[in-house]
Amino acid sequence: MSLLIRLLQALALLLFVGAATAEHTSNWAVLVSTSRFWFNYRHLANVLSLYRTVKRLGIPDSQIILMLPDDMACNPRNAFPGTVYSNADRAVDLYGDNIEVDYRGYEVTVENFIRLLTDRLDEDVPRSKRLGSDAGSNVLVYMTGHGGDQFLKFQDAEEIGAWDLADAFGQMWEKKRYHELLFMIDTCQANTMYTHFYSPNIVATGSSELDQSSYSHHADNDVGVAVIDRWTYYVLEFLETQVTSANSKLTLGDLFDSYDMSKIHSQPGVRWDLFPGGEQEGRLRTVVDFFGNVQNVEIENANATDPGSLKEDLAEIARLVEKWRKRDEEYSAILGNSSQSQSEGAQSHTVQLSSKKPVGATKMAEAGSWGKRLVGLSVVGACTAVWVAGSILGRSA
Amino acid sequence: MTSKNGDHGSPQTSSTLKADPKPSAQRVPPPETPEAIQTRFRVIAAFWAVIIFLGFPIWWKTTSIYRAHLPIQEMADWADGKTCRPVFPLEIHVAAPTMQLPESQHLVRTTQHALDDLNEFAAHHLRLKLTNDTETSTAQGIDNTPITGSMMDDAPDTALTVRVVAQEGLATPRSELRADTTQLDIFYPPSQVPIPSSSNPPLSVFIAEELQRLYSEEKATIAYILSGGAAGRDSESISRRLRRSMKYADTYHLSFSLFTPGSAPSSWDIEAAVQEYLSPLLHAFGPISNFTIDTQVQLYATFSPMAPPPVYDETESAWTLKKEDLSAFINAAEWPLNPSIGNGPTLNFILYVPDPSQSPMVVKENRASSWIVPQWGGVFLLNPPLEQAGQSGSQTNPGHITQESLRPAFMTFSHQLLTLLGTPTTPASLPLRLQSLIRVRAATLLLSASSTMGSLARLTESLAAIPIPATVASSVSTTLAQLSSTCSHLREGRFGAALTSARIAETEAERSFFEKSMVGQVYFPDEHKVAVYLPLLGPIGVPLLVSLMKELKRLVAGWKARRRSTA
Repeated sequence: MSLLIRLLQALALLLFVGAATAEHTSNWAVLVSTSRFWFNYRHLANVLSLYRTVKRLGIPDSQIILMLPDDMACNPRNAFPGTVYSNADRAVDLYGDNIEVDYRGYEVTVENFIRLLTDRLDEDVPRSKRLGSDAGSNVLVYMTGHGGDQFLKFQDAEEIGAWDLADAFGQMWEKKRYHELLFMIDTCQANTMYTHFYSPNIVATGSSELDQSSYSHHADNDVGVAVIDRWTYYVLEFLETQVTSANSKLTLGDLFDSYDMSKIHSQPGVRWDLFPGGEQEGRLRTVVDFFGNVQNVEIENANATDPGSLKEDLAEIARLVEKWRKRDEEYSAILGNSSQSQSEGAQSHTVQLSSKKPVGATKMAEAGSWGKRLVGLSVVGACTAVWVAGSILGRSA
Repeated sequence: MTSKNGDHGSPQTSSTLKADPKPSAQRVPPPETPEAIQTRFRVIAAFWAVIIFLGFPIWWKTTSIYRAHLPIQEMADWADGKTCRPVFPLEIHVAAPTMQLPESQHLVRTTQHALDDLNEFAAHHLRLKLTNDTETSTAQGIDNTPITGSMMDDAPDTALTVRVVAQEGLATPRSELRADTTQLDIFYPPSQVPIPSSSNPPLSVFIAEELQRLYSEEKATIAYILSGGAAGRDSESISRRLRRSMKYADTYHLSFSLFTPGSAPSSWDIEAAVQEYLSPLLHAFGPISNFTIDTQVQLYATFSPMAPPPVYDETESAWTLKKEDLSAFINAAEWPLNPSIGNGPTLNFILYVPDPSQSPMVVKENRASSWIVPQWGGVFLLNPPLEQAGQSGSQTNPGHITQESLRPAFMTFSHQLLTLLGTPTTPASLPLRLQSLIRVRAATLLLSASSTMGSLARLTESLAAIPIPATVASSVSTTLAQLSSTCSHLREGRFGAALTSARIAETEAERSFFEKSMVGQVYFPDEHKVAVYLPLLGPIGVPLLVSLMKELKRLVAGWKARRRSTA
C-alpha cells in the first residue's frame, strides 16, 4: 500500500515537473510553401489550411509568418477567382477576407527564410516580417514543397539543404529564439530533412521516408489540379475534428498516433531524440502548445490591496502626476517672474506652436500654367523642326 | 569509279612505296627547330604562370571567407560568468538629527552588523553610511527622482535615506516610508537610544529588519536572475512576474487605441490625457527605456465571430464577460493592432467603449474593468454615461471623451505599463521601485549580453562557413569594454551608470550577433563541390596537365642526354 502511495507521489512529482518545464509565454508559427506555378496549387492550399487552423486556435496574425511563393487565388487559370480551396467540396474558402501574407512571390527564397529564422534582417524590415520569438516561445515550423534526399526546392531555382536548416535552428537555439520547436514537413523524402538537426528541444515530423514520395490526396475536377497532400490532409483532419478548442488536452502523442500508413501511402516519421526526456516526455506536450496561443490574461482586481496591486499603483501614479503638475506650475511661476519681454517671447512661442497647420496637398497655381504650356509647345516644336531638317538633309545627301 | 579505283589502288602504291626508303623518310615530320621547342616551352610556361600567379590567387581570394578575429576565450569567459561576479552594494544614508554623534555612529555600526547577519545573499548587500548633513539629505530625498541619481560623478548612487527621529509617546520604534521620495523615516522612543556598551540594541535590530523587508523582493529577483531561473525562495511569483513582463528593449512603442462597435465616441482628448497622466511616468522611466507613442480610433470594431458574446447579468445589472473568454476578447484578425511603427516592441493599450445596448460591460468574476495580457498590453473597458439621442429615446455613447473621463483609464494603463515593464511590486514607493528596476534591468542586461557573447563565440567555432565581418569584431570589443565597465560600476554602487553601460553592451551584442552578412546559407557537401568544379576544370585542366608532363619529360630526357654526353 505504502509502495503504491509512494509511486503515486513520484508520478505526481513527475507530472508537476513536467508542467513546470512546459511553461512557455508565446506562440509563433512559420508556415512556408516553397513552390510556385499552378500545378502546385496543393502546396499553397496545404499552407493556407494550416494557417487557418493556427489562427482558429488563437495565434494572432502578428505571430504567424506566412510565406506564399505564388498567388493561386489570382491565377488566370483559377476557375474560382479570388479563392483557394483545399477540398473538392469547396466548403471553406481558405483565402477569405482575413489573410496576411508576410512573404509573397519572389520574396520566398532560401536566403529570406534563413534570415527570418536567424533574424539577420535589415534594420528597416518591418516587424510583421520578423520572427520575434524569444526564450519563452514555442515555434511551429511547417514546410511543404518539392524535395528530395536532404533538400527542399525553393521556387524552381534554388534549394535548402538539411544542413542549412539544422544550422539555422542551431543558431536560433544559441540566441534563445525558441523554447520548444515543432518542425513539420510535407514533401517527398521529407524525413531526410530533419536528420541533421542538432539543437535541443525540437520535435520533428515528416510525411515520408527516404526514397518515398509524398502523395496528393485528391484533385478537384473543376479547379483542375490536386488540392491537398495526403499527410497534411490527415494532420488537418485530426486538428479540425479533434482539436476543437484552444483548451484541448490532446497531445502530440495523439496526433502522431493518428498517422495511418494505409491512408497516407507513405511512412511518416517522428524524431524525438532532441527533446529532453525523449519520446516519453515529448508525447505529453499538448497539440495547442504549438498550434494554439497561450494567453493567460490577468484581471486586475480593483479592490485588492496587496503590494503592486492596481489600487496602490494608482495612488502612486496619481502622486507622481500631482508632483509634476506642481513642478510645471513652479516653472511657469519662475517664467512669470522674469522680465516682461521674456514672457511675451514665451507667449509668442506657444502661439506659434498652436498655429502649426497640418501639411496638406499643395494646389497647382493657375498663373504659371500658361507659361509651362508655352515652354512645352516650343520644345515639341523644336524637336519637330530638328526632325524635319534632318530628314531633308538626309534625302539631299 | 575512278576514285574507287584509286582507293583500291592506294594500299598497293603505299606497299610499293614502302620498299623505297627515300619517300618514307619524307613522311616523318621534320625535326623541331630549337626555336620552336623554345617557343612551345614559353607558351606552356606562360599558361602555367598565369594560372599559378593570377588564377590561383584570384580563386583563393574570391572563395575564401573573411573571418575577423574574435577574442573567443574572453567571450566564453563572460558567458560562463568567470570574468565578472555582479554585486549590488546599495548605499544607504542614515541621518540621525536627534542623536549625538557617537550614539549615531554606534547605531550605524550595530545596524550594519544586524543587517549582515540577516543577509543570506552575498551579492546584494546594504551599506550604511552616516550623514550628519541632514539638510542636504532631506533635500536630496525630496528631489531624488530616479533620473537625477548622480550619474556623472564617481560617488555611488544613494539608494535610500533613513532618517532616525526621536518621538515622544512611543512604546516601540515605528517606520514610515515616504511614498513619493526615497526616504524612510524611523521614529523611536527617546528611551531606546542605543547605549554604546550594548552590542545588539533593539533599535538597530528594528532598522535592520525594516531595511531587509524593503529590499527582500529585489534581492529575491536578482538572486533568481543571477541563478538563471533556478528554483529558490518566492521563485514562483518572481518567475510569474518576469514572464508577464516584456523583454527588455531600448525603445518601446506604446499604442493607444480606442475601439467601439458603433459610431460614437469618435474622438477623445488623447493628447492632453497622455500629456497629463502618462508623461510623468514615462519621464520617470527615462533612464531605463525610451518610448514612442501612437494613438488610433477605430469605429465599428466588432468582436470576432468566434468570441463568446457578453452575457447580461440580472443581479449585477451589467453585461459580463467570463474570465476564461477574455483571451478571445481582442479580435486580433480584424482590429488593426501591432502597427509595426518604430523599432521597438509594441505595447498595446486598448480602451474599449461597449455598444450602448451592452453597456455597462464588466468582467463577471470580480466586476473589474481592466486586464493585462502578458507581454502584449492591457485592456480597459470604459462605460461612459449614456446620452439620450433625439426624440426616439434611444441611448447613445457620447461623441467625445473628455480628458477627465479618460483619467481612470490612463491611470490603469500606467499601472499596466509598470507591470508590463517588470517593475517590482514592493516597496510602496514609486521612486524606490524604479531604482530597484534599474538594478534588476542592469543585472538582466549584463547576463543577456554576456550570454550573447558566448553564443557568438560558439557559433563562430561551430560554423566554419559563415563570414565574420570586421564590424562584428568591433561590436564585440565595444560590448566587452562596456560589460566590464558595467561590472565595475555595479561593484562601486553606481547603478544608473551601470545600466547605461549595460544598455550599450546589449545593443552592440545584439548587433554583432544579428549582423546581416553572417548568413551561412549555402552548405556545399563535397560531392557538390566536385560537381561544380569538374565541368569547369576538366576541359582546361587535362590539356594543361598533359602538356606540362610532356614538357617535363622532354626536359628530363634532355638533361639526361646532356649528362651522358658530358660523362
